[in-house]
Amino acid sequence: MIELWKERLKRYQLNQFKYLRLIFNDTFVLAFIVLLGALGFWYSNLLDTIHSELWFGKLIVVAILLLTVQAGKLATMMEAPDSTFLLVREKQFYQYFKSAENYSRILPIVFIAVITFLMSPFAVQAAGMNVWDVIFLGAATIFAKMLLLDTQLAGLYGKEKMWGINLPVLMNLVFLALLLLASYSFTWLAPIILLAIWVWFNSKLSSFVDQGHLQWQKAISDEDQRMFRVKRFYNLFTDVPGISSKIKRRKWLDFAVNGIKLKHDNTYLYLFARGVIRNNEYIGLVLRLTILQVILLCLIDNFYISLVVEMLFIYLVGFQLKPYFKEVMQNLMQRLYPVPAKEKVAAFTKISNTMLLIQWFVSIFAVLYKFGLSANSGIIVVAGLVVIGFLNYIYMPHQLRKFLDNGEY
Amino acid sequence: MTLEIKELTGGYGQVAVLKKESFKVEDGQVVGLIGLNGAGKSTTIKHIIGLLTPRGGQILIDGMSLNQDVENYRKKIAYVPEMPILYPELTLREHIDLTIMAYDLDHDKTWENANRLLKTFRLDNKLDWFPQNFSKGMKQKVMIVCAFMTDARLFIIDEPFTGLDPLAVNDLLNLVEEKKQAGCSVLMSTHILATVQDHADKFILLNHGQVRADGTLDELKAKFNMQDANLDDIYIKMSHEDL
Repeated sequence: MIELWKERLKRYQLNQFKYLRLIFNDTFVLAFIVLLGALGFWYSNLLDTIHSELWFGKLIVVAILLLTVQAGKLATMMEAPDSTFLLVREKQFYQYFKSAENYSRILPIVFIAVITFLMSPFAVQAAGMNVWDVIFLGAATIFAKMLLLDTQLAGLYGKEKMWGINLPVLMNLVFLALLLLASYSFTWLAPIILLAIWVWFNSKLSSFVDQGHLQWQKAISDEDQRMFRVKRFYNLFTDVPGISSKIKRRKWLDFAVNGIKLKHDNTYLYLFARGVIRNNEYIGLVLRLTILQVILLCLIDNFYISLVVEMLFIYLVGFQLKPYFKEVMQNLMQRLYPVPAKEKVAAFTKISNTMLLIQWFVSIFAVLYKFGLSANSGIIVVAGLVVIGFLNYIYMPHQLRKFLDNGEY
Repeated sequence: MTLEIKELTGGYGQVAVLKKESFKVEDGQVVGLIGLNGAGKSTTIKHIIGLLTPRGGQILIDGMSLNQDVENYRKKIAYVPEMPILYPELTLREHIDLTIMAYDLDHDKTWENANRLLKTFRLDNKLDWFPQNFSKGMKQKVMIVCAFMTDARLFIIDEPFTGLDPLAVNDLLNLVEEKKQAGCSVLMSTHILATVQDHADKFILLNHGQVRADGTLDELKAKFNMQDANLDDIYIKMSHEDL
């Protein structure tokens, strides 16, 4: 079983490596670094404005750590055929999961360390802590993460509750209580108590496994969901095959698509328009990025950074609508329609234009809020339009045509 | 409407699945395309509808090839795939509207047809459902409705009988008969020989990407020298020939 794990891990890492290479190849990474720079700039400005301890400083530290500990799940690499082909090996699977858990510890530990490090100046300035306090709380968060991974492993064997409470919820509550207690009394309390709980829970683990049965369906669907999240993350930057999304009717948005007349020329407009508003992926994308863009524009005082944010976010939405075109083109039936390829591209351009113009229109309010009616506002707003023009009339048509020509679509 | 396949060679990538395949479907004929898994049935169909490009030979519908006039060629064909393919984000009603738009059909007249078909297949109360709520058989019925409501002259049905309930199989056969009476041609590939034996005018037996034999049941009996045989027996004899 250890061999199986090693083989799967290798395959998984190769896959990850492939996606990471795709991401870092893209010009998008440059833009992303600028965005990080902007956030760093904003953070350091924020720190400058804090001159004395804030009453809610400790609470923010606690909240950040509680959020941080949620990141990272048990990566089991279980696959759907396992429940048929490996059913007889149920007992040996514990070894496999142990290796999986060890692997799953690495990233969260690094992540918690980085967040704790980034948070430390804030903790010192706004929460009145010293360096040791921050280190103790960081260590406590790492122990809490180890404990949570253990509860997840127990969950795979049907041990989902303790004293009638859902295990992960219970442990999160314990963690929260300890964080609050420790940050208002002695911070070293938290890591010591959490370490003790972790050791105790770990010793119980094998008995949970012996008493329970491996929940194959749950293990496989949990892993599917985890993979889906990972792929969706990569999908933000590059096209990931095999990522399907949820559909919702959203009748209240029908007014937006009902105007499309039922005639031959509108075939693809009809299809794309409905898809974009009903597919959670794409409407979610536009909403998330527009909201984030508006928040950033409202926070940032610097003209140049605002300019980059405006252009970058419009580019991001436009760029990430592209996979929807490819998704539809993979439908075999539409390839048989007596409709020429250039009409498909034209219809998609219309949809992309509409979505980006809505985003652009919303962002204008944030720009006006920050810079008023000034030349700076004007430049930012026009730059947004230029990006839309570039995307929809130069970049996209070329890319989409290339895609259609290459794939016999 | 006639379909003519002349010395068709083709397949996926470098592998030639079909080797100089030739057959004909005449006006008002129902033809069964029969062969083992991997014999080339679906590949043949994909070439006819234009999803694959032939490496050699010709495919003519009423004497016209795909390259001569893509749009009119496509308007003549209605296709029901083996695995239903639907748009996850469109309701059943919208699938029908979209098909009407795509093939530039008369809206009211086609809806009249569609409503009749929806009633036949007991889908008339599910017009606002999404594909994710349909079972496999229901999805297949949606594909059938969308194909048979059009003005196509050639109906190509890939393995229509698996996954459908017996009532639906019967309804589908009635539809095929109706289209035949109207002068349309139907080409269907299937493994359910007992069903197709009674409902097709002619059979094409494919083996290793070539037409091993074609003709009516009586002609096939004569060719294989099996006077009391049914289609099943002939098929099994053909499959054993190269063992």
